Amino acid sequence: MTKKRYSAVGFVAAVAIAVSGLFVPSANANNEIVVWADGDRGPNLVKVLAEKGDWVSGYKVTVKSFSNFDALKDAFDKATDASGPDIVMGANDWVPTGAKSGKLAPITLTASQKARFTSGQLFDLTYKGKLYGVPVDVNNVAMIYNTKLVTTAPKTFGEMVNYYKANKTSKGLKAGLCVAGGGMSWGAHSIFSALGADAYQFDARGKIVYDRSFNGTTFGKNVRTFLLDGKKSNGFLPASDAGCKDNFLDGTVPFAIIGNWEWKDYVAKGFTMNLMPVPGVNANKPGKMFGSVSGALLTTFAAKHGVEAGAKSLLTNFFGSTDGQVRYQKIEGRPPAEKGAALDATVSAAQRGFGSAASLSSIPQIGAFLNNNAGGANYWDSAPAYWTAVLVDGKDAVVEGNKLAAIWRANTTAGKSDL
Amino acid sequence: MSIWLRTNAWRHAVIISVCLFSLFPLYLVVISSFNSTGSLRLDSFIPREISFANYKMLFNDPTIPYMTWVKNSLIVAGATAVLSVTIGSASAFAFSRLNFKGRKTGIQLLLLVQMFPAILAISAVYVIMERVYTFAPSIGLGTQAGLLLIYLGGAMGVNIWLLKGFVDSIPKELDEAAKIDGASAVQTYWLIFMPLAAPVLAVVALLSFIGTFNEFILARLFLVDMESRTVAVGLQQFIGGQYSENWGPFAAGSIIASVPIVIIFLSLQRYIVNGLTAGSVKG
Amino acid sequence: MTSFFTGKVSFVLKLVVVLLLSSVLVTLTQSAFAQKEYFIAGFLAITILLLVLTYLTKISIPLKFFLPGILLLIAFVLSPILFTVTMSSYNYKTGNIISKSEAIEQIKNRGFESDADGTSFDIKIGRYDNQEAILVSDSINGAYFISTENNRIPLIAQDLTVNEYGVAESAPDFQTLSDAEMANADEIYSLKRFKYQDEYFIALEGFEVGIVSRQVLAFDEVNDQFKNIISGEIYTDNGRGNFAIEGSPDQYLEPGWRAPIWFENYTKLFTEERLRAPLVSVFIWTITFASLSVLTTFALGLLLALALNKPIRGRRVYRSILILPYAMPSIMSILIWGGMFNTEFGAINNLLGTDIAWFQSPTFAKFAIILVNLWLGFPYFYLISSGALQAIPSELLEAASIDGANPRQIFRQITLPLLLQILSPLLIASFAFNFNNFNLIYLLTGGGPRAELDGELAGATDILISFTYKIAFGSSVQDLGLASAISLVIFVLVASISMYGLRKSKVLESFQ
Repeated sequence: MTKKRYSAVGFVAAVAIAVSGLFVPSANANNEIVVWADGDRGPNLVKVLAEKGDWVSGYKVTVKSFSNFDALKDAFDKATDASGPDIVMGANDWVPTGAKSGKLAPITLTASQKARFTSGQLFDLTYKGKLYGVPVDVNNVAMIYNTKLVTTAPKTFGEMVNYYKANKTSKGLKAGLCVAGGGMSWGAHSIFSALGADAYQFDARGKIVYDRSFNGTTFGKNVRTFLLDGKKSNGFLPASDAGCKDNFLDGTVPFAIIGNWEWKDYVAKGFTMNLMPVPGVNANKPGKMFGSVSGALLTTFAAKHGVEAGAKSLLTNFFGSTDGQVRYQKIEGRPPAEKGAALDATVSAAQRGFGSAASLSSIPQIGAFLNNNAGGANYWDSAPAYWTAVLVDGKDAVVEGNKLAAIWRANTTAGKSDL
Repeated sequence: MSIWLRTNAWRHAVIISVCLFSLFPLYLVVISSFNSTGSLRLDSFIPREISFANYKMLFNDPTIPYMTWVKNSLIVAGATAVLSVTIGSASAFAFSRLNFKGRKTGIQLLLLVQMFPAILAISAVYVIMERVYTFAPSIGLGTQAGLLLIYLGGAMGVNIWLLKGFVDSIPKELDEAAKIDGASAVQTYWLIFMPLAAPVLAVVALLSFIGTFNEFILARLFLVDMESRTVAVGLQQFIGGQYSENWGPFAAGSIIASVPIVIIFLSLQRYIVNGLTAGSVKG
Repeated sequence: MTSFFTGKVSFVLKLVVVLLLSSVLVTLTQSAFAQKEYFIAGFLAITILLLVLTYLTKISIPLKFFLPGILLLIAFVLSPILFTVTMSSYNYKTGNIISKSEAIEQIKNRGFESDADGTSFDIKIGRYDNQEAILVSDSINGAYFISTENNRIPLIAQDLTVNEYGVAESAPDFQTLSDAEMANADEIYSLKRFKYQDEYFIALEGFEVGIVSRQVLAFDEVNDQFKNIISGEIYTDNGRGNFAIEGSPDQYLEPGWRAPIWFENYTKLFTEERLRAPLVSVFIWTITFASLSVLTTFALGLLLALALNKPIRGRRVYRSILILPYAMPSIMSILIWGGMFNTEFGAINNLLGTDIAWFQSPTFAKFAIILVNLWLGFPYFYLISSGALQAIPSELLEAASIDGANPRQIFRQITLPLLLQILSPLLIASFAFNFNNFNLIYLLTGGGPRAELDGELAGATDILISFTYKIAFGSSVQDLGLASAISLVIFVLVASISMYGLRKSKVLESFQ
């Protein structure tokens, strides 16, 4: 019996090895380029690629969509050699972290390719002198006002507040100005800026000043004047973006900040609205928004998957070309970054309007400063925290304003080395 | 009446108020699921409208593979339950009934290991499965098979420990009698022990099923694809999204997913209570 | 029936199962070995050996029972624990996650610069003289050449086929690639550098474009350092996972790699004020939260158990309603409660007629967490307390009441002490469970609110485990090394609590 059993062991071993020989994976030539995108862009990319898929001959492009932008970022943070994408459609502030951790790979554009974009757009996707992707769409916000309620464009922030106070009860207003697109950090920067708190400062020649921040006291006093009633919020600006879109469409909020990708939703509701920057405390000094680009970023995984050249070709032939961006933005509806596409007749007026608004009153979105948390918190966390502290918790606007100024200064100073 | 008041009225008062406390959120979900406005607000205790829009959305919207999520949850939780009890009970039997060298040390080690909260090693498990993916993509990161393996391994310590407690409580006389009759350990296990322990094993399997069904964090970390998600992870995104909170479909989805579990739980509560007293804490 | 477990049929069946399993495992071992995952390959190989020996011979009967369980434990519990221990001694965080060889490779790949004019050419890939080569069209100067790794061969325009844009399509002796070669071309050509002039080379940017660049950073393998060829700066291994200029630690090359830093992650917990302060407050809240959770759920559970300890009308219905919160999948319940606490759209403010921002204030957020956990947890204690109440011998209570004790005295002096004695291991287990109740905190408040403006790292309701998760998988910096160190500290704490609990329940003494 025992002998028989041992021979069985031998038999099993032999068969197992023989069978496994059948399964040994053969090294297949890889010609699939994997692109990751969020829930808005992904499905639209799929449509565009279905329409015309031969942007790089010999390669198949597969798009993987994530439910939302946060989920995409989450997944990309955890992406590995095995699972990672070859190209990811990300925001420009992903570039510093992605480059630092070795997830993004540099590309070099030819002079003619570079000429298709503004130097600002390319700067947005650059980290320590290397470019990590091609700009695809311009992301910005703008303020809209309901022309049924407000007939003339307000010139100052105070005019909006006065309108709100005067019509609050008679028109049943729920708020004066709210943020519908981009959240209380990214989307609300133009409100910060209108009241005197820019994320970082520029000198007269347009150079960044690393060791200074906005004046927390002036800003805090402006907040007191325009947004508070004693220690409590006067209701003009809600501390969160919840319900803003619905309220605006209901006609209970006259002014709203919306993202350029949302414009078509508002138009679809048949509203007449006007597009403008958030007016500042003084006339002709509007609040500045973040003008940034999202890009198609090249990853280091592409080289590991053996599709680097293909991925680079896809970046220039499709993502960075006039033809590619026109086709894509016709469906996606954001202002295209590429110059030819931005001027293309088939791109809607609103897309172009947002694009030009961006150049009027925007500051570049510099991830090195905004993602830095040397001051204790990065911009994305500290900005909404300010609104909550002052508008909800009733903390002193000036004291908190000075704290905010100190945090942003520390972040800017520390972020200098990441430029 | 006054005696009734003194002895029983406080009982009813306490119980009724706690019952209201337990029912309130559940009632709210039910009415929200029939409400098309999408908020978890109580406008009136009696629903103003009965709309099936949320339910329809779950089944008809192609971007919401709800049924796939349910199926995924059932497969992962079901397989975890069955396999972990099968494998765990054999180990528990060995630890409880068989004599071998190093048994005591083994039990002590097991005791220590089962105390390690699985979530603490989450980064390590993640990195390991990442590596597994490089040579076996079908069981590595992002696959349900991989998640199943992690659940199985992660719960093994607790399961063996718990099952050992049950096995200890089954009288030894029966299998000792079998031993005297000349049955081998394997025969005793299958023919005597298994039939005896079946009801207990079923309860442990059920608890394990519910526990796995409730698991969120590993599932969220591992299952990236829309199509491979479990119900909990899939539904969370309705309300975890950055810009919108859509409670309607969430409410409808959680009702459909919860009702079977609640029914099983209520109908088997007597058995489950026994399991609880033995020391399992439901996740 | 018995013969089924000893006879030939069973042996063949066993043989087939073992055969299938080991075939799969051998395949996996091979591919793991091919991917240089030697640890995993080794583990799989031992697994196969043990499987075959255990189930096909009579080496050990107990092993037949617990082998699968033990293997799973080792693979998914023990090895992650050991791996956590290893990671905790590494500088394993954003910027330092890849291996050193990968980091060197990437620094090399980034360490080049384009020439001053940003010259670029249209190219065609192919082979020349049996080497990988590119056919380059310099349309500005109207020049054409073939370039291989070490040679540059000038061409005469007349010999070439040139397309309408002035790009050379083919040249004598220049072979274009076949479809089969094309399939593998990407991997080969995108790493190659083709000769241009002096130190400048041409690298591919896609299949049609070549960029003129030169290497700036050169790796010196012997001394394990990078040299900037132009400025002469030397970057050496700083022992912390980066190449840096000696004396100026801020000037380092990116990316870095994971490098051992031994106990630094642990000492950091005590020495770095920025980390210690939040850890202390998080620890205090963790203990408070776990104790309050046990206390409140136990108190309410016990109260109900006492109230329902008599056969009163509707007992069965009550019982079913009371355990409903426990029967609901807790994930769903937590998310629902989260929605109910919403300031504007939530039912709680709605019901109370208030407009409290529940999750913005530390006190309200903590209260909400305890309340939700009470809802989730009281049925458990109700169930086990009513079980335990029945286990108290009724003679004891009767004797006391004959002695003239009133119900309150009986409860305080007999029932409660006895209950506590019976239930203490479960109370301690519940404490240990809540100590790591990640789901509740993560899904309800996300650990918030956090006073970002005061520079706080942890939120007011963060418990140790959720704080650790933030460190490991947070948004801007992900520090797996530090998170692993904290995890192990938590493990020691929880294990001590549980051991204490088990000693109380005398489980340890029951091993014969």
